[in-house]
Amino acid sequence: MRSTEFNWFRTFLEQQSGIIISEDKLYLVQSRLKPLLRQHQISDLNQLAKHIKYHASSDISQQAIDAMTTNETLFFRDQYPYDALETLVFPELSHAKGISSPIHIWSAAASRGQEAYSIAIAANESIAQAQKRVRILGTDLSPTAIAYAKAAIYSQMEVQRGMPVTRLVRFFSQQGTHWHVAKDIKNMVQFETANLTEDKLVSQVRRFGPFDVVFLRNVLIYFSAEERKKVIDRIARSMRKGGYLITGATETPEGLNSKWEAVLFKGKRLWKLQ
Amino acid sequence: MRKALIVDDAKVVRVSLSRIMKQLGFETLEAADGQQAIDQIAAHPDTCLIMLDWNMPVMNGYDFLLHLRSIPEHVTQPKVVMVTTETGMNSMLKALAAGADEYIMKPFDKDMIAGKLDILGIDYD
Repeated sequence: MRSTEFNWFRTFLEQQSGIIISEDKLYLVQSRLKPLLRQHQISDLNQLAKHIKYHASSDISQQAIDAMTTNETLFFRDQYPYDALETLVFPELSHAKGISSPIHIWSAAASRGQEAYSIAIAANESIAQAQKRVRILGTDLSPTAIAYAKAAIYSQMEVQRGMPVTRLVRFFSQQGTHWHVAKDIKNMVQFETANLTEDKLVSQVRRFGPFDVVFLRNVLIYFSAEERKKVIDRIARSMRKGGYLITGATETPEGLNSKWEAVLFKGKRLWKLQ
Repeated sequence: MRKALIVDDAKVVRVSLSRIMKQLGFETLEAADGQQAIDQIAAHPDTCLIMLDWNMPVMNGYDFLLHLRSIPEHVTQPKVVMVTTETGMNSMLKALAAGADEYIMKPFDKDMIAGKLDILGIDYD
């Protein structure tokens, strides 16, 4: 890919998704976009960039954005966020809001849905009447990822990454080499496409909130410092005061108008909205 | 060093699993069937983890598991991860009831195995 096309594509991607690709990430762009060449019979990446430029709202453009923004996720990734839900966050919410009050949770970079369903499973294991009380929203920029998440069908490889076998046999049913999320768990979760960098995000998710817990893991790193602050403020405006934000282990939320208190859990930081 | 016993009648699987377990910081032992596994465990009672195939000649993995879990003198039982082409839900339930701690449907890779060690609370490099 020539530097002209590479730089144009970086700007395009930032405008469309807020995601910053630094100048040294040519290899990343090439490896993510190459499968589209075969799929659409385009000769090389320079031609692909041109196609996107002149057909910005085409399927190929959306697929290029998807390819750059969709990251593989795991069920119960890092485990500690789910332990924190069970032993800290859910008991605190039940104490503060009452044991029968609804709990609203948002998986804000849901990708293919593993995080949202992991939250639903964790809630089921630790909260009485979780299926009635807990409502989970999963959003992602990619329509392809959201369609996958809504289908709630995962491959043999996917269900073995991070998930204990005891949860697999309890919360999934098997059809050949594919595993379907149990209906009770699936019904706790709704998915929508949403763009964290757009101001309309707050009104878009309002009917699902205000949220007691938001998962926004390993996403902030992709935004510019300025965009990061705006995203954090939008998340804050969608949350209840005292609610928890769960970021990646090394990420720190800094907003322009929102304040967060670090709460340590097993040596990892969760963030409480002030 | 932590010892892991790899039990599989296919040499290619033993070699591949052994390589992964060594990369994760384990000393590895091998057995080609359940009877050899019994001998290895007797010779190395400090084995902390067994990666166990199901279908093998002489003694299959399931029968070995039943035997292992019935040994009363083992105060600290090793953790057992089934690693098998038996991918049916019923096989999983049967293995769990017999005392398996985790279950991997082949094919596997290093990340998947490391993830299972995380679940079992077993340290690795």
